[in-house]
Order: sequence, then structure tokens, then C-alpha cells
Amino acid sequence: MNITRHTYPFAQNFGRALSPFFARRLAGDFENQIEDMLDSVFNFDNGTGPFNSEGLFPVDLYEDEDNTYVRAELPGVDRNDISVEVADGNLEISATRKTGSGDNAETLSFKRTVLLPENTQTDKISAASKNGILTITLPKQEAAKPHKFTISVN
Amino acid sequence: MTLLNNTHSFTSRPRTPAACNTESETTVRPRYTVAPAADASAWTLTVALPGVAKTGLSVTDEAGVLTIHGERTWKCPETWTVLHRESADASFSLALHHDGEIDVGKIKADFAGGILTVTLPKAEALKPRKIAIN
Repeated sequence: MNITRHTYPFAQNFGRALSPFFARRLAGDFENQIEDMLDSVFNFDNGTGPFNSEGLFPVDLYEDEDNTYVRAELPGVDRNDISVEVADGNLEISATRKTGSGDNAETLSFKRTVLLPENTQTDKISAASKNGILTITLPKQEAAKPHKFTISVN
Repeated sequence: MTLLNNTHSFTSRPRTPAACNTESETTVRPRYTVAPAADASAWTLTVALPGVAKTGLSVTDEAGVLTIHGERTWKCPETWTVLHRESADASFSLALHHDGEIDVGKIKADFAGGILTVTLPKAEALKPRKIAIN
């Protein structure tokens, strides 16, 4: 008989690590949900054009055996205007976008913070941008990869 | 057998690999703006289509309706597990009625970095014109 155990040490904490934006949605902030709903139905021009009026952007988190992946939707943001920083165990994604021209020029700032999994090799983080989606690859340390314990029973 | 993970209920939460590539029949309306172009002879339509590649994008105009459809081309690799999702897999679809106020033959579209910019020239009849006084 074999006993096989896979451990994913940080998976459970990951969702909670997100910024207050998501926490507020989870908490069911009713007013905000209504606003989002109206916005999605009527799609009013809210001054920020095709962007989220809250200055936030959606972030997805994935993992496989070797890496954790963060994918952020940042359409129309030049890659020179995206900065990814690691500080105090947090991954900060900030972006600026210039809209309008001449007198109407406006600079919008977006920022999201994701708590880094403890086992991340912070010196090997890489990021790539394609079709308005930023993908950040967070390599896991060897020890943090899923362990497989096999115990044979005679 | 108690040796087997008695902390199991704390450490595992439902993992849903199925959420990775959800098949969705629905489409979402992308965020967009329409603004007059600098010289008032056209409108500029800006549509945010994150995750859409040029190959998955179509812009069509038929019977006074401009339709934009964008498929998200990125597929989550099978070995990846979803930890948290905020974006959707649904494709983008936008239909704008213009009732022939646009010179359809001169529409220009440009797509870069997830932003589609469409220049919609006004129909001749709508352009500002100066009338000479005899």
C-alpha cells in the first residue's frame, strides 16, 4: 500500500493576499456591486475611457509545479510604463497610462499588490507583456515544489 | 487510518482546475469610448480588448451596425492550476448602431497592446461646411 501526499504550502493563503479591492467584493459591498452592474450594462464614459474607473485592473493567479503566475490585464499600457517591484514580501504592479491629448491630457495610475508566496525565488522573477496582458512568473524554490512521500508497507 | 493527513481539512480548499479554460457561450461587452477626432471630420472609437490577438479580432459593418468581435486567444496550459481569477474567458462583442452617419468605406482600424482604435469618418452630409453668401 502506498500513501501519497502532495503539499501546496501557500495555496490557501493566496486569495486572501489580494488587495482590499477584491476583499471588498468578497465582503459583498452592495453599493459597489450595483455600480459595477450599472457600469457593465450601460458602459458610461466615466472619464477614464476604456479603463476601470477605480484605477484597478483584474489580476489572475495560477500555479504549476515550478512557478506561480500572475496575469494582469493592462490594455493600452506601454511596457515602459509598467513597473513590477518586490518589497517586504509583496509584489507591486503599478502602471500609468496617458489619455487624451493637448489640454485634455490626463495621467491615470493603476496599482495592485499581491502577497508573494513565501517560497518565491525573488531574484528570478520575470515578466512579459503581450496583447495588453502582463504575465509575471514567480519561480518556486526547490524545497517548495510538491513533495511526494512514498511509504511502502510490507 | 489516522496517519493520512489529519490536517487535510485545513490545508486543502476546493481546487478547481476546470475553471482554467471555461467554455463560455456568453460574450462580454468591452469597455469603450467614442470621441470626436481632432478635426471634427471623424469619430474615434477606442475599445479595450485585453488578451485578444489580431487573429482573433474582427470588425464588420453591415446595415448601419458596426460590430466588433474579439476572441481571447490565450489558453491556460493544462498543467496550471487556478488559484484566483478576476478576469473572464468570455469573448468580447460590441455592436454600435450608426444609421449611415459614417462613411463606411473609409473606416480605419488599428490594434496594438490590447487596444483597438477605429477611425469612423463622418458621412459627407454630416461634415461641417461653410455656405457662401451671395
